[in-house]
Amino acid sequence: MTLLAALNAADATREVMWNISHSWLMYVLLVPTMLIAGYGVYRQVQKWRSGQPAARFDRPAERIKRVVKNVLLQQATLRDRFAGVYHFLLFWGMITLTMATIVVMIHHDFHIDIMRGRFYLYFQSLFVDVLGVLAMIGVAMLAVRRWLLRPKKLVYTDESTWLLILLFVILGTGFLLEGWRIAATNDPWGDWSPVGIVVSKTSLAVAGVETLKSVHFLTWWFHLALVFGLIAWAPYTKLLHVLTAPLNIYTANLDHPGGTLKQIDFEAAQSFGINSLEQFTWKDLLDLDACTECGRCTSVCPANTVGKQLSPRDIILDLQGLLDRSDLASLKAQGHGERPDEYEPAFPIIGTTDNLATEALFECTTCAACVEICPVSIEQMPKIVDLRRFQVMEQAEFPQQMQDAVSSLEERGHPFKGTQLSRVDWAAGMDFPTIEDIESPEVLLWVGCGGALVDRNQRSTRALANLLKKANVKFAILGREETCTGDPARRIGNEFLFETLATQNIETLKTHNIKHVLTSCPHCFNTFRNEYPKLGGEFEVMHHTTYLAKLIGEGRLKLDAQAAQKIVFHDPCYLGRHNGITDAPRKLLQQVSSQPLAEMEMHGRQSFCCGGGGGMSFVDEPADQRVNQERARQALATDAETVAVGCPFCTTMMEDGINTLKGDRKINVQDIAEVMWEAISSEAR
Amino acid sequence: MKILVCLKQILDPEIPPRDFTINRETHQAIQGSANLVTNIFCENALETALQLRERSPGEITALTFGPASAEDSLRKALALKADQACLVEDDPATSHNSATTALVLAAAIRKLGEFDLIMVGREAGDWGAGQTGGLLAEQLGLPYVAFVDHIESAGDGVTLRRQTELGWEKVEAHLPLVVSITNSEENVPRIPKTRDIMMSARKSVTSWKLSDLGLTDDEVKSNGEALEVVDLYLPEKKSDCDFIEGDSIDEKIDEFAKRLASIVQSA
Amino acid sequence: MKSIVVCLMPGAKFDKPTAGLLAAARGLDGQLTVIVPGTVGDDTTASLAGQADSVIVCEAAGLSEYQPELVLGVLQLVCSDLNPDIVLLAGDTYSQELTPRLAGRLGGVSAGDAQSLKLENDNLRVTRSVYGGKATAVVELRSKPAVVWVRARSFAPAAARDSAGSIEKRIVELAGEAAKSVDATKIVERHEESTGTVRLEDATLIVAGGRGLGGPEPFEELKKLAVVMGAQQAASRAACDAGWVPVQWQVGQTGKKVAPELYVAVAISGASQHLMGIADAKIVTAINTDRDAPIFKHCQFGLVEDYKAVVGPLTERLKALLS
Ligand SMILES: Cc1cc2nc3c(=O)[nH]c(=O)nc-3n(C[C@H](O)[C@H](O)[C@H](O)COP(=O)(O)OP(=O)(O)OC[C@H]3O[C@@H](n4cnc5c(N)ncnc54)[C@H](O)[C@@H]3O)c2cc1C
Ligand code: SF4
Ligand code: SF4
Repeated sequence: MTLLAALNAADATREVMWNISHSWLMYVLLVPTMLIAGYGVYRQVQKWRSGQPAARFDRPAERIKRVVKNVLLQQATLRDRFAGVYHFLLFWGMITLTMATIVVMIHHDFHIDIMRGRFYLYFQSLFVDVLGVLAMIGVAMLAVRRWLLRPKKLVYTDESTWLLILLFVILGTGFLLEGWRIAATNDPWGDWSPVGIVVSKTSLAVAGVETLKSVHFLTWWFHLALVFGLIAWAPYTKLLHVLTAPLNIYTANLDHPGGTLKQIDFEAAQSFGINSLEQFTWKDLLDLDACTECGRCTSVCPANTVGKQLSPRDIILDLQGLLDRSDLASLKAQGHGERPDEYEPAFPIIGTTDNLATEALFECTTCAACVEICPVSIEQMPKIVDLRRFQVMEQAEFPQQMQDAVSSLEERGHPFKGTQLSRVDWAAGMDFPTIEDIESPEVLLWVGCGGALVDRNQRSTRALANLLKKANVKFAILGREETCTGDPARRIGNEFLFETLATQNIETLKTHNIKHVLTSCPHCFNTFRNEYPKLGGEFEVMHHTTYLAKLIGEGRLKLDAQAAQKIVFHDPCYLGRHNGITDAPRKLLQQVSSQPLAEMEMHGRQSFCCGGGGGMSFVDEPADQRVNQERARQALATDAETVAVGCPFCTTMMEDGINTLKGDRKINVQDIAEVMWEAISSEAR
Repeated sequence: MKILVCLKQILDPEIPPRDFTINRETHQAIQGSANLVTNIFCENALETALQLRERSPGEITALTFGPASAEDSLRKALALKADQACLVEDDPATSHNSATTALVLAAAIRKLGEFDLIMVGREAGDWGAGQTGGLLAEQLGLPYVAFVDHIESAGDGVTLRRQTELGWEKVEAHLPLVVSITNSEENVPRIPKTRDIMMSARKSVTSWKLSDLGLTDDEVKSNGEALEVVDLYLPEKKSDCDFIEGDSIDEKIDEFAKRLASIVQSA
Repeated sequence: MKSIVVCLMPGAKFDKPTAGLLAAARGLDGQLTVIVPGTVGDDTTASLAGQADSVIVCEAAGLSEYQPELVLGVLQLVCSDLNPDIVLLAGDTYSQELTPRLAGRLGGVSAGDAQSLKLENDNLRVTRSVYGGKATAVVELRSKPAVVWVRARSFAPAAARDSAGSIEKRIVELAGEAAKSVDATKIVERHEESTGTVRLEDATLIVAGGRGLGGPEPFEELKKLAVVMGAQQAASRAACDAGWVPVQWQVGQTGKKVAPELYVAVAISGASQHLMGIADAKIVTAINTDRDAPIFKHCQFGLVEDYKAVVGPLTERLKALLS
């Protein structure tokens, strides 16, 4: 031991491939392993490539940032505590172990003497050992979750079980090998490998050096076989995500989820919407192979939460299944020709499983909670819309009440079949200028169908107009010239109608030389902000919460009184998640209210949908499966007296939900503009 | 079976009250910002025809008499896979009534050929006259059944279900025949596929003037003059609710009951 | 001026619509003949004669029940003999079916759904509502005869005349074309549905209940009211959801769109989704404890009371008023 102490740390190293003979066999085995794995990867890559084009390599700096955040730092994954932690441990553990192996390779095969000295001690021994332990802990947590906690959102397959066992055995044998080597070689640096030294000491206590040597030899080959086996098998399992996830995150949609829906080239597209695998873009297909089956998307999906069939994860997995079973050659042969008279899908999707049934597809509120939560940047919602488009435009088979909304949009430019209101009824007796009366308004108040044609929302719209008047804003409305922005048509899946309406609106606004648009409807806001520019309509659009905050900031609107009630804010999906605006409304409410805001558990970008997006506000949900009631329950769990909203659709959905469930409690639903106007105006009170 | 469906384009009946205005001079509604749409009962008729054609082979011709804009109704019918479409263009300056419409439609139908089944909507959502079907049957010298909501072909005839104010009836009928169609759960109009809408723009629509039908203006005019709108006005609307007041609840109920009774009696 | 009234109501009896129809005809001066194609009881004939100058009861093979071509043939024959200026029918299915055809056969002009009638320079003027009730039109019928079906209940029944008119039984035999075409159509089955099941969309009177009723039992109370009025029952979604009434009763954006003459909303707040279903209702009224309930904004008149105190007595009062 004294001799050891005299050893120079700079010379620290170990013998690589100690105790191993016939090591050439390893190289021989490596060839088929890599071939099998390589083929697995190659086959998938070819399948992705059979998809349609998508531009996802622009803005590399942003993309790299995203990879750093979500791959290296695992930020998205870590949002789920338990799963995040074990994944983090496993991720870094496995990376470290792989790096260690690479170091060995460099040292041994490329004859570069790097496994030496401090690097050897700190990294190759100590760090790797510690990370190995962490990875083991990760595996243990994984096992606990899969076998003890058994959360509903997981998919329970044999494949997962075997992968888990495999990981465990590989890690375990790795430690054993290390320990036995230390024991047998009486490694002077053994103390640097904490687990190794423990294994070494315990093993020596029960067996002799010679025994350990022979067990080591056998185990080494066993370990190698398992590792090679795993490498060869991985591309055929969900472990493919090790490769696809980073790639997918790199090629993710960088815009807000509100801007992700694809445009259709109606002249060239083979089919309007998608009902065959090859009609997806390569990126969509890559998405399918990137899924880790974590189930987060389904667990936050409002439709799934209230017990509906829709499950974004299972849509992805079922599509993945279809992709797996599809034959590459014919996949590549499809999808690039002329538009046929009758489109026959080569790899049909819709209706092939319960998850891909029309009913399920039309339960989606397009809230994008799934897209937001997915740790590997999969875009479930846009695919749902792609499939809906096919049902709407190619099949004309979708829920009757959505058909009514679409017909109404076609015939009268708004989705509210049966409304008795005209676009200007809300303004009756208020003396507002329409666009004819005013040359160049400061802003155009885009009222939206929800704000004008639904009785309840007239109050909110009037409140907003009153606030604008009070602030002396020179605004105008389009009046009867306004038509729907096209949002419901687009989310329901009628892209053709959307384009028609959009083009018409852009035309109208250009004729009136409008530059600034103000709207209280997040759906309109989103369309103006993210979708019209792609059709040539560049306007500066603001949501009323932002605009009102601005007016206060500029001192044009004075808050000389405050609301006394306790307020909780419900984030509209198309404001918060789709456009990242979550602070402005809160700041505004905080100024308006004398009490601190309450918060629901799910809020901000993690908010829960009111149930009204994606055309769902035109549909009668089964009485026991109402998204709005679930959200109302969440609101009622706070001590708020007012649920403040910033969207006409949210207003009606939340009001219906709250009224159904509130019992004797005094609680109401109001648009932020209403809350403000009531607080500051004696007229309103 | 050769089926002919008559379609009428009308001012959107869902136009909100505040947007509905009329010209008291010409006795016509003003279109304003409202749209023109196909009359719903005509759409029910087309749907009934489409369903009939799905069950037994047939050919559907859509026919409309109206201004050039009525071609939109025909295009929609073509998008829903009607086999042919024919527009008889009228002169928007002259006003028409059920009698002139029936006269013109009959002439067009004769020119189009033989049909087994001629369908019209029970009434139009604008003037709601409900006369055209019966008048057309007389013009063509054919039997007529009104308020039909379901048609099955049976041998060389058809079996119809028609609604009555108390229920329904089964009617057996020989062909050719004129029927008016009313709505039911079954004939809710389908919506066209976008692909078919785009294709329909390329299909051809036969377009005729009155003179092409061998009808003289005078003939049409004299028919038209038999029935003339002499006044059109907006009924007085009370916008505010008239709350029933009274000293006692009994008094209020009494007054309320009287109002209800008078409405019930005249309904 | 010679007028004819065609009494076609199934099993023609002297009921409210018949009385209204006759009253409408008597509002126009001149000679009035009532034609009854088919068998009819003696007392009915007598009541009819009390209102007209003459009654012709037609008899023909198969005329015991309505068959379109047969009845049309008979009417054509009998009417053309009388050379009338005006022919009036009621608003039942058969009358509506026959009106334009009879006009066609007699070389006259037709109109439907007359709410009031007036003579102007010997021409009949008909007032009717158009554009789904958004406007009212007056149309003048300038050819003879003017064949019109009227909204019979809109006319208040008139008392019998001092001297009863003549009664004639006429055997009619169809010949030629008319005889041949009789079999072109044949009604082979007739189904009457109990009132509760007439489609809501077609109902002329509707009594609807909402969450404020608090349970299924009050709907039974409302049913009594509905029966007295001859109305259909409907509900808001809240009431349907609660399972108090079948979902088919739901009126609104995602329920039925109705177009009655009268819609009585009991304990319904009037959410916009509900209102979208009653856009075409002519008259809306409500019973609600809350004077500020949005439903009242759409009511012509309303009653601010607890339904519990109202429905029972109201049913009794109406029973008395309507009998
Ligand atoms: C997407 C969507 C679609 C919808 N579609 C429809 C639809 O098609 N049809 C529909 O009806 N709703 C629909 N709704 C629901 C709608 O928003 C309302 O929740 C519902 O109409 C309320 O029903 P209500 O008026 O019966 O109940 P409430 O709104 O609770 O009203 C009850 C009323 O009863 C009154 N009241 C209470 N006690 C008494 C008493 N003793 N005497 C007299 N009055 C009393 C109260 O003052 C109150 O006005 C839909 C909602 C959504 C979100
Ligand atoms: S967008 Fe929302 S509703 Fe649709 S699948 Fe995703 S989470 Fe579910
Ligand atoms: S799609 Fe994303 S969130 Fe959903 S299960 Fe797959 S990896 Fe998880």
